Amino acid sequence: MLAQLLVQLIVIIGVSRLIGRGARWLGQPLVIAEVVAGIALGPSLLGWLWPDALRWLFPPDSMPFLKMLAEVGLVLFMFLIGLELDPKLLKGRGHTSVVISHSSIIVPFGLGAVAGALWLYRTLSDPSVPFSSFVLFMGVSMSITAFPVLARILSERGLMQSKIGAIAIACAAVDDVTAWCLLAFVVSLVRASSLAQAGMTTLFAVLYIGFMLLLVRPFLARLGARVASREGLTQNVVAGTLLLLLASAWTTERIGIHALFGAFLFGAVIPKEGGLAAALIEKLEDVTVVMLLPVFFAFSGLRTQVGLLDSAQAWLTCGAIILLACLGKFGGSAVAARVTGLRWREAGAIGVLMNTRGLMELIVLNLGLDLGVISPTLFTMMVIMALVTTFITSPLLRWMYPPEEQARDQLAQAPDAALVPSAYTVLLCVSHGQAGPGMAVLSRALSGERNDASLYALHLLSPERPLRVRAEGALDANGAEGAAGAAGTAGSALTPLLGRAEKLGLSVRTLSFVSSEPARDICRTAQAKRADLVLLGWHKPLFSQTVLGGTVHEVMQEASSTVAVLVDRGLSQVRRVLVPFVGSRHDRAALGLARRLFKQSGAEVTVLHVTSPEGAGTGRAQVDELFPLDEGAAVKLKVVRHASPEEAALEEARAGYDLVVVGVGAEWGLEDKLFGVQRERIVRDAPGSLLLVRHPEGAPALAQGQGQGQQQGATPDAAHAVGART
Amino acid sequence: MHLGATLRLLRVDAGLSLRDLARRIGVSSAYLSRVEHGVDAPPTQARLTAIARELDVPPALLMDVGNRVSPYVAGYLEDVPAAGTLLLDIARRKLTGAQLARVRAFLDAEFPLREGRGDEPAPALGPLLCAERVVVQLSCEDYEDALDVAAGRLASALPGLDAAALASGLRQREGEAPSQVGNGVTVPHAFVPGASPAAALVTLARPLDADTPDGQPLRLVVALVDGHPGRARLMRLAHVARLAGRGLADRLHGADGPGRVLELLEDLEALR
Repeated sequence: MLAQLLVQLIVIIGVSRLIGRGARWLGQPLVIAEVVAGIALGPSLLGWLWPDALRWLFPPDSMPFLKMLAEVGLVLFMFLIGLELDPKLLKGRGHTSVVISHSSIIVPFGLGAVAGALWLYRTLSDPSVPFSSFVLFMGVSMSITAFPVLARILSERGLMQSKIGAIAIACAAVDDVTAWCLLAFVVSLVRASSLAQAGMTTLFAVLYIGFMLLLVRPFLARLGARVASREGLTQNVVAGTLLLLLASAWTTERIGIHALFGAFLFGAVIPKEGGLAAALIEKLEDVTVVMLLPVFFAFSGLRTQVGLLDSAQAWLTCGAIILLACLGKFGGSAVAARVTGLRWREAGAIGVLMNTRGLMELIVLNLGLDLGVISPTLFTMMVIMALVTTFITSPLLRWMYPPEEQARDQLAQAPDAALVPSAYTVLLCVSHGQAGPGMAVLSRALSGERNDASLYALHLLSPERPLRVRAEGALDANGAEGAAGAAGTAGSALTPLLGRAEKLGLSVRTLSFVSSEPARDICRTAQAKRADLVLLGWHKPLFSQTVLGGTVHEVMQEASSTVAVLVDRGLSQVRRVLVPFVGSRHDRAALGLARRLFKQSGAEVTVLHVTSPEGAGTGRAQVDELFPLDEGAAVKLKVVRHASPEEAALEEARAGYDLVVVGVGAEWGLEDKLFGVQRERIVRDAPGSLLLVRHPEGAPALAQGQGQGQQQGATPDAAHAVGART
Repeated sequence: MHLGATLRLLRVDAGLSLRDLARRIGVSSAYLSRVEHGVDAPPTQARLTAIARELDVPPALLMDVGNRVSPYVAGYLEDVPAAGTLLLDIARRKLTGAQLARVRAFLDAEFPLREGRGDEPAPALGPLLCAERVVVQLSCEDYEDALDVAAGRLASALPGLDAAALASGLRQREGEAPSQVGNGVTVPHAFVPGASPAAALVTLARPLDADTPDGQPLRLVVALVDGHPGRARLMRLAHVARLAGRGLADRLHGADGPGRVLELLEDLEALR
């Protein structure tokens, strides 16, 4: 007897591994190979080609031994499945997973039950089978998803971390638990002789689940913590765990639901944190998966008789079952996924993944056959269905969701995440220390009491300068000293800014590096930081073109965010702000900045609207647009008619303002392209500090009437435009 | 020892889970995890070869990453002591990287390796860089800032992609598994479908304290962008890790401009 069993094992494991090589070559999971091996060894192929060999290899009287071995293997395997089920997957799932997992059970369950009730019960079942059991069983067997195969496919395709991977695995976990509960219920219904007994079984089952969750789990959590802190698992702990496992399986078998549920439940309540679960998996997996599970597959293969499907009609029925199964599972989850807002490709991929039935379906079917709920013919059809749905998963997934798509989705996710934390970001570009304090004061006013702005100070070193730095720092070989030296020089330009910022309670992150193209590097950094405002420092004696070197002009041309240049004449507070206004997009950006100064630190804003002597002004209307009603009162609007807006602004600027915020533009003598030549009278002659603002090209001007409190950014549209371009 | 960090980096990029790789090379995942965290001794030659095969990178490259060459050379010298004389000759001539590359070219022509595929040289880093994408002497307070600067430079090489999107792509990958490879080097990288490979290099004036595998502060950021998954991409990453092992951060620390960085790099990787 033993010799026979050993020969059987050798043949079974050998053949499955042999076919497994072929499956791997086809890019299929190993399960496929094992199931096919089982079927090939059974009456469908071996028994058909060479009946004597089948009779010699698997004589009927050896079947009970094989069956027992297979069941023990299944108990261990279900324990492993439970171990791999992380309760974290079940908790705290997003809206998407909830919807998909529900619909991926309800739809196929419904389809299966309806098909069972209306059609299969009459054609393929025995009147002795209770109608309700059959219908419920068909429903459950259609809604199975193979969690382990799914996990294997996801990890092989590198999808575990991706969005659809996470959704699919969470849904599969929920499906698994739900399907097993349903199945336990069906089994208890079938086994019970009366309704009262079925009720008792269900009651006991619920009590037992409660006992495991409430009493055994905390105990195991403590055990797990102790084991994890020691050097791995001792054999005693493994033995104890196995004893508990067997006891749990025995209990559920006695209760009247199947031993498999006890094993699964026990696996599921073992804590996944700490090393206990992982160590147990490692110890048990190989023996179970390599040796015992193929026995189970062979055993179900022996019971699969493809020969029973001997008519065209039988094959048609089989095809219809496959179609129905795919329709329910794939359709149910894909449509739900699409409804929750995933793209069709992603939704399709989830549908395909959920359609994998793999070996879990086989377990369910064997149970059904054992209980006599389904006939051998239906069993064979369903086995073929399980095979087909598993087999098509990989190729369909590759077709539906190729690696390029996968990568695109991963990249597409990124900017969304980056767009959310959009604190008002200011990039302070400091070229000389002098400009620092004024910029700190302005930043203070822009970020307000609550400090809700991210401030970055950027200092670019010219390529010639670091040479000196290195000479100073070269003494130290490991570079620590040299680094301090470089930081020192960078610091010397940033120190005044940082010193003032510290006094004002601002936190500024500094950044400095060597750059041969300062303008481009400013723009790139601003873009990478998604800066809402690029603030350039400027210093009093140096506004001839040569010193500017055109950097300001270049930054203004290239930047995709608002650029402002601070001409600092001892700015120490921002109380009174003047905004000369004609109505260009730069003026509106200037007004937006002034609005931020008002909102964040209560600056008093005066808008000087200059109209031409002949035309009437529309200034009030435009100011109202940018300053909503409640704030509008805080803004003083002066309307002047003047032939030269520049003159008018200059006159007003002499009336003692802390800061004049002005958009660039010909009307103020601040033409962008001529910037820094001679005409900037307003810069030369205004007594106070100035902030020259330029709204980026291409970005829409400030939207009409927006800004009901929510939009704090001075140029939210500019920020959106940056985002839209990604 | 930073081999473990590189192994993890490559494994994650190859899309393999710890358990998968462990299963494929026939070790326990606990062991592999210890190796990746540098707690266990680095893998033997046979294991490293198995890992390289599963990751589909040349085994020699991985051995080089781990500076695991000397034991094998030592073994060879024991078998063929005369080879020592040749090495001595090389040492006396103080051959530079470029000269060694010529010696190797001669060896390849005269005594081709039998394995053929699997040992082609890794793609060089130099050609992926240009002066525009080299930033020297960055001082910043946070690794994020360094990433942003690198992304800013890289974005100009990739039409249609903006710096912020790229930076968040780099950060996302960084979130899956850290890209530090030890010796003060980190290799943040992103996958941009269809893009031709490009790199940006940033030397840090002030070493950054980061959670590096070997405890050395960060001194060099090599950001990589690749448009095609697969072998070449992993080889590039492994190659940078190997350069890190050869002291890339130390050598480049002194460079005062992009030109100098590229020169040093060319010499350092002449022999790949």
